[in-house]
Amino acid sequence: MSGNPSPSPPPDPEIDDDTKTVIGIAFGNTTSSIAYTTPDGKAEVIANEEGDRQIPTVLSWVGSEEYHGTQAKSHLVRNSKNTVAYFRDFLGKKYSEIDPTNSHNSAHPVDIDGVPSFNLQQGDDETVSTVSINEITTRHLIRLKDSASDFLGRRVTGAVITVPTDFSDTQKEALVAAAKAGELEVLQIIHEPVAAVLAYAARQTPEEQGVDKNILVADLGGTRCDAAVVASRGGMYTILATAHDYGLGGLKLDEVLVDHFSKEFIKKHKVDPRSERSLAKLRLEAEGTKRTLSLGTSATISIESLADGYDFHSTVNRLRYELSAKKVFDQIVSLVENVVKKAELDLLDIGEVILSGGTSHTPKIASRIAALFPESVTVNAPATLATALNPSELSARGAAIQASLIVEFDQEDIEQSTHPAVTVAPHLSHPIGVVIGEDNSFHTILEAQTAVPARRIAQFDVQADGDVIVRICEGIREIVVEKVERQVNGEKDEDDSEDEEDEEDEEEEEERNRVLKVHKVIAEAAIRGAKKGGKVEVTINVSSDLGLNVAARVVGTQIGVRGEVSPEAGSA
Amino acid sequence: MASVKISKPLPALPADWNSESSFIVHAPLSPAVHRNLSPAGPHFLAHARRKRHSRTFSEDDR
Ligand SMILES: Nc1ncnc2c1ncn2[C@@H]1O[C@H](COP(=O)(O)OP(=O)(O)OP(=O)(O)O)[C@@H](O)[C@H]1O
Ligand SMILES: [Mg+2]
Repeated sequence: MSGNPSPSPPPDPEIDDDTKTVIGIAFGNTTSSIAYTTPDGKAEVIANEEGDRQIPTVLSWVGSEEYHGTQAKSHLVRNSKNTVAYFRDFLGKKYSEIDPTNSHNSAHPVDIDGVPSFNLQQGDDETVSTVSINEITTRHLIRLKDSASDFLGRRVTGAVITVPTDFSDTQKEALVAAAKAGELEVLQIIHEPVAAVLAYAARQTPEEQGVDKNILVADLGGTRCDAAVVASRGGMYTILATAHDYGLGGLKLDEVLVDHFSKEFIKKHKVDPRSERSLAKLRLEAEGTKRTLSLGTSATISIESLADGYDFHSTVNRLRYELSAKKVFDQIVSLVENVVKKAELDLLDIGEVILSGGTSHTPKIASRIAALFPESVTVNAPATLATALNPSELSARGAAIQASLIVEFDQEDIEQSTHPAVTVAPHLSHPIGVVIGEDNSFHTILEAQTAVPARRIAQFDVQADGDVIVRICEGIREIVVEKVERQVNGEKDEDDSEDEEDEEDEEEEEERNRVLKVHKVIAEAAIRGAKKGGKVEVTINVSSDLGLNVAARVVGTQIGVRGEVSPEAGSA
Repeated sequence: MASVKISKPLPALPADWNSESSFIVHAPLSPAVHRNLSPAGPHFLAHARRKRHSRTFSEDDR
């Protein structure tokens, strides 16, 4: 075996010291990916020398030969004890804090002075060396960096790396140190759901980015699923809530298929194929079958000499798979519902959904999640939206975009910008808007959860000559539940007189609607002498101490009102 | 900053509006909640720039 040695980065050319080449790295427990931005600002995911864009987060040693990615992953069958997989979440944790469940089929972590480590044979003799999680991480990052350098033809110097929202400061420090040991500067660590939002925002115009909405990001990976509600306000992002389910993810779906195929195999050959090595084979192949089922309605599996010399060939259709996987899908749906609750929001408050992570390719998961929301809500996943980005690429793309934004910053600039003095901001607890129309309904101008200082401008048509009022209010969102009676299709009631008995033919459905109402009136401004066909422009400016400045004017005239509402004593 | 066009009209000034002033204050805004902005994306960087240099929106527009 020739192994897949680290690509040789171009012989260090005489680049002047100012040349920075930065990339985005998504570092997952299951897979990692690398991305860069093209000169015209587009993020592109890089394929490594084996042609993989999703690079398994796996390292394996055979003698002194180091394997990485897909090749290392295939070693889980024959060389499992010398193969390290699913290790990202161990980084920066004490041995006593880690959950090694996913390591049972590979090198198992050991406790070396509290640091999760691995006993590995990495030389051409039988010597076993102890390799810490930090060193493993460094090796992995070096391999990713080298692949990117190889592709770009320039030595990569720095990266923005994505991590889950529950990554602790200690874990982040360990990540920075592990990268540094591999001569990779971590420009910034950003959260995975924010990276996913950035990946989508990069396709939008600045105006579209500025549209206020609550975005639900479900990141469905291999060993875990994470969800977040992100308030997007004027293009700035605030995470309102997060939820995590460790142990839920693609591996669970692989297991569903492994069980399905095992039962079939037992029926045929009266042999249980779930011995260690056969199981490893079956897992690897079942994962491939699962991926095929994301695209087609049936998929095959084919393993030579699976157990007791019997080959295994079988086909499974998507419906069968979806039935068996229902419990896993239910748990994913619960996670999504749960994060919305944690944000103290209703599902109707969500304006857009982004499905991220490899497991988001699963059509049934996308459609189950889409079914929670009204049809007007975009669900960005391959099965629900033809133009969706590849969910496996969102983190790396977002990281690459952020890297290109800050490449010219020096370390101090970045530290200052990410310091709580800059990031912690008062956020509005209620929407601010005006009363409009004949029914005096509330119209939001500044959404709740907007960070202040903030400014918004709204424009209204004048429909008749005369004086108008700008009534600035805080709003409150209510969910109004109405019972609507729907007649069952094709069963027109013949005699309406017998109401009582007809009830069974009518389905009572609950219709839930999101309604904004006036919570309290803040200020009123009178505009006198507006002319039909004119436009009134209202500018709302909230300062960081929650003082409110209102300016209302008839566009193109001298007519206008300005006013100020002082903040409540002692607020923000 | 672009203004958002709203299709419905503002209501007519009530006939019983009897204030001398054309601006009446009723109540301050409700207290805010402190949260963390994610330090990522172009709009955040503009925010950080304003905050670090204590600039206002209109100064930033120039
Ligand atoms: N086309 C596909 N259809 C279904 N599942 C897929 C597809 N592609 C990848 N997956 C699954 O996605 C999972 C990996 O997800 P991802 O790449 O997001 O990993 P990750 O973030 O490293 O995971 P984690 O950290 O949760 O272990 C694997 O279980 C893989 O089988
Ligand atoms: Mg992940």
